[in-house]
Amino acid sequence: MNTLSKSFLTLMIIFLYFPILYLAFYSFNAGGTMSNFDGFTLDYYKSVIENKALMTVLMNTIAVALISSGISTVIGLFGALFLYFIRQRYVKNTLLTLNNVLIVSPDVIIGASLLILFSLFGITLGSVSVILAHVAFSVPIVVLMILPSLYQQNNNLVLAAQDLGASAWDVLTKVLIPNIKPGIFAGFLMALTYSLDDFAVTFFVTGNGFSTLSVEIYAMARRGITLEINAISTVIFVVVLIIAIIYYFVSDKNIKRGKTT
Amino acid sequence: MTEIRLQNIHQYFDDAHILKNIDFTFSEGKFYTILGPSGCGKTTLLKIIGGFVNPTSGDLYFGDKKMNDIPANKRQVNTVFQDYALFPHLNVYENVAFGLKIKKVSKSERDERIKEALRFTNLTDFKERDIESLSGGQKQRVAIARAIVNEPDILLLDESLSALDHNLRVEMQYELKELQQKLGITFIFVTHDQEEALALSDEILVMDRGHIVQAGSPKDIYDEPLNRYVADFIGESNIVEGEMLEDGKVSIYGRAYECVDGGVKRGTPVEVMVRPEDIILKPAGEGHLNVTVDSILFRGVHYEICVLDEDGYEWVIHTTQRSEEGKKVSIYFDKENMHIMVPGEKEEEFNERLESYEGIL
Amino acid sequence: MKRVLAIPYLLWMVVFVILPISFMIYYSFNDMSGNLTLQNYAEFLSSNYLKMTLNSFWYAFLITVITLLISYPLALVISRLKHKTFWLLIIIIPTWINILLKTYAFIGILGINGVVNTIFETIGLTQIQLLFSDFAFITVAVYIFIPFMVLPIFNSINGINKNLISASYDLGASKWETLTRVIFPLSLEGVKSGIQITFIPALSLFMLSRLVAGNKVVTLGTAIEQQFLINENWGMGSTVGVFLILFMVFVMLATRTKKESV
Repeated sequence: MNTLSKSFLTLMIIFLYFPILYLAFYSFNAGGTMSNFDGFTLDYYKSVIENKALMTVLMNTIAVALISSGISTVIGLFGALFLYFIRQRYVKNTLLTLNNVLIVSPDVIIGASLLILFSLFGITLGSVSVILAHVAFSVPIVVLMILPSLYQQNNNLVLAAQDLGASAWDVLTKVLIPNIKPGIFAGFLMALTYSLDDFAVTFFVTGNGFSTLSVEIYAMARRGITLEINAISTVIFVVVLIIAIIYYFVSDKNIKRGKTT
Repeated sequence: MTEIRLQNIHQYFDDAHILKNIDFTFSEGKFYTILGPSGCGKTTLLKIIGGFVNPTSGDLYFGDKKMNDIPANKRQVNTVFQDYALFPHLNVYENVAFGLKIKKVSKSERDERIKEALRFTNLTDFKERDIESLSGGQKQRVAIARAIVNEPDILLLDESLSALDHNLRVEMQYELKELQQKLGITFIFVTHDQEEALALSDEILVMDRGHIVQAGSPKDIYDEPLNRYVADFIGESNIVEGEMLEDGKVSIYGRAYECVDGGVKRGTPVEVMVRPEDIILKPAGEGHLNVTVDSILFRGVHYEICVLDEDGYEWVIHTTQRSEEGKKVSIYFDKENMHIMVPGEKEEEFNERLESYEGIL
Repeated sequence: MKRVLAIPYLLWMVVFVILPISFMIYYSFNDMSGNLTLQNYAEFLSSNYLKMTLNSFWYAFLITVITLLISYPLALVISRLKHKTFWLLIIIIPTWINILLKTYAFIGILGINGVVNTIFETIGLTQIQLLFSDFAFITVAVYIFIPFMVLPIFNSINGINKNLISASYDLGASKWETLTRVIFPLSLEGVKSGIQITFIPALSLFMLSRLVAGNKVVTLGTAIEQQFLINENWGMGSTVGVFLILFMVFVMLATRTKKESV
């Protein structure tokens, strides 16, 4: 590891974290701008908590994420099992390609095409359309997260279960699903992440009166600088950091345990 | 010029002491095999010679030149890796050409040398093939061609045959041996397979937990192992406790036997080794020990017979003689086929001792 | 029973994949009052939209190239570290912060009174308006895409058999030759995925052009958002969308990886 690589890495980490820490720093600025620091204050955190509308938006965001991820995980699980059992290569590849269309499509395309769909089907824009849109782009992600764990398991497992007299339903509930639990969980988490992070799709299909955090931040940011955004950002960053640390130590422990057993 | 000298080499990885004071000289043009169980340090030793690992302490010389700080890409050494390490993005020809292109060898000379290397390894018809389409044996050959085309002084082979199935492996053993004789360069071959080591080598280095335990020709090591470890690792053996009575006389279970070893103080506890194929079955009462046949396994070329002597010790015998379970017989072995080992003896002491009575007994 | 399981998934596929795209294609042939027409296509192929498309491509290209030039060495450096998963996690964490928050941070950083201008001032340079420029657009886009590009490249470099690198040194190659002749060709799949992940979204980043580029950069995405949500001309918006889909298919085919083509 030479000095050049080390300084490059350091520089990039500074570049990646600077904007986030910059926001956090000015979230305590009594001066109300992101340029001159005029003394410490927690006012913006207080006003975020007291801002009923913002709190509603936060709850909406979490509710949309949980509901849409839950639905997508069920549909995605069935979809993955369905794809797993298809024998004809051509059919499988065609379905997989269709599955992946929404993963590679730009957000604006998903948003705009769903907007057309909802208006043609007479679905009012609001919480329902947003949840449906999130289900739409989460299902293929869940499928892609579950499929590898299905293929990883021993092929003879299903045969062995049948050999021991298990019905198709038994094979599914007692053998397959318990075996791919980590994949299902990963799929759910991934759907949750995508849902929480989405802006563009929601922006297209949300009506007036219903909003998620990203859309709200966009609206606030377009009006200019409000340090309330800085406060929200800082809270989110701290939460993400804590989750990342927990994740790292849990997975690290798992690896070490795996080594010794 | 290309003698390889290892001087007091120690290797640590974190706290693990992988190599302990390795002192050895590989002379030019011989086929060496480093033999030992996994984790004994044999691959690390190879990597030090190849330049992939820097020894924690000690020196490495090629001829008179100290090599410690010379990186792998500046050494006249090439390696055949255990998993072949063929470049998957290049075809057979391009893999073999890799080293020559790096050295900016002219196109005409390059083509000539590659053609020669491919001919040498019977790969001429495969030169346009993708690596992934090759069988294990073919990959093995490409790896060898890729190494020898650079005309190295030393070729290192890391467990190179272990991924092949048995028949192919035996075939490749012949080819390797032949190749080494044709090229006349030093081969250092690492393996945990004793048969391979015996079949291929001019000299075998037996390693155990970071030490070279014994080095010598296959015959020397087989017939005169230094200790129980070497005896057990190479071939099968019957080892019994004994006591030295005088030069040429050893006592086993209180009975004196004539032997051809000496140089050991009277009364020293020793271990006596007899190879299973050196034991002859005789009718009861006619051999050294009366025994009962316990079990018989047919091994193809011979029977493996387990017998129990009157003291309850088990002896393993490899013989083409027939017998049957439960039969009372006796076992006999020539004094030349008994080998005396002194526990704790170092290789130098052992060699000195062997020389001291050579020709006397 | 397998058929019963498949129903919700197939329904999803029809309703959310096939229908929306079909509707979009159908709408692209509609004018604002719902009559069938080729007017939208004629307009798209007129100079203004073509210029905008070329512009969008140019920016997406610049963003992809700059992101790649930064991400490849970064992935390479991380792959050689001892605790590589830890450092990779460090690079990934910023992706979990909402993209809009990060964009918003740049409004502060690049603003006329922001930190970059303060630095300029202290070293004696004049203040310049960095925000609301194509420079800001590219900087923020590159910032956002770096971790997404690093991840696939890191994975493919990390997946290279270590013995191949040893073999390269063994055959006399220097570090640089090993990088160019062995590591780079073997990590091309990762580079291709990285380009896919960057180039296609870079064609459609409308919020960036709204927030930090001051509408100075008009991408295909901006045009779609404009037509759908501001002009309410869904027909024209859909036409731009159809072209964006065509470009997307083209990029996917151009960067198709070996495994997919078999």
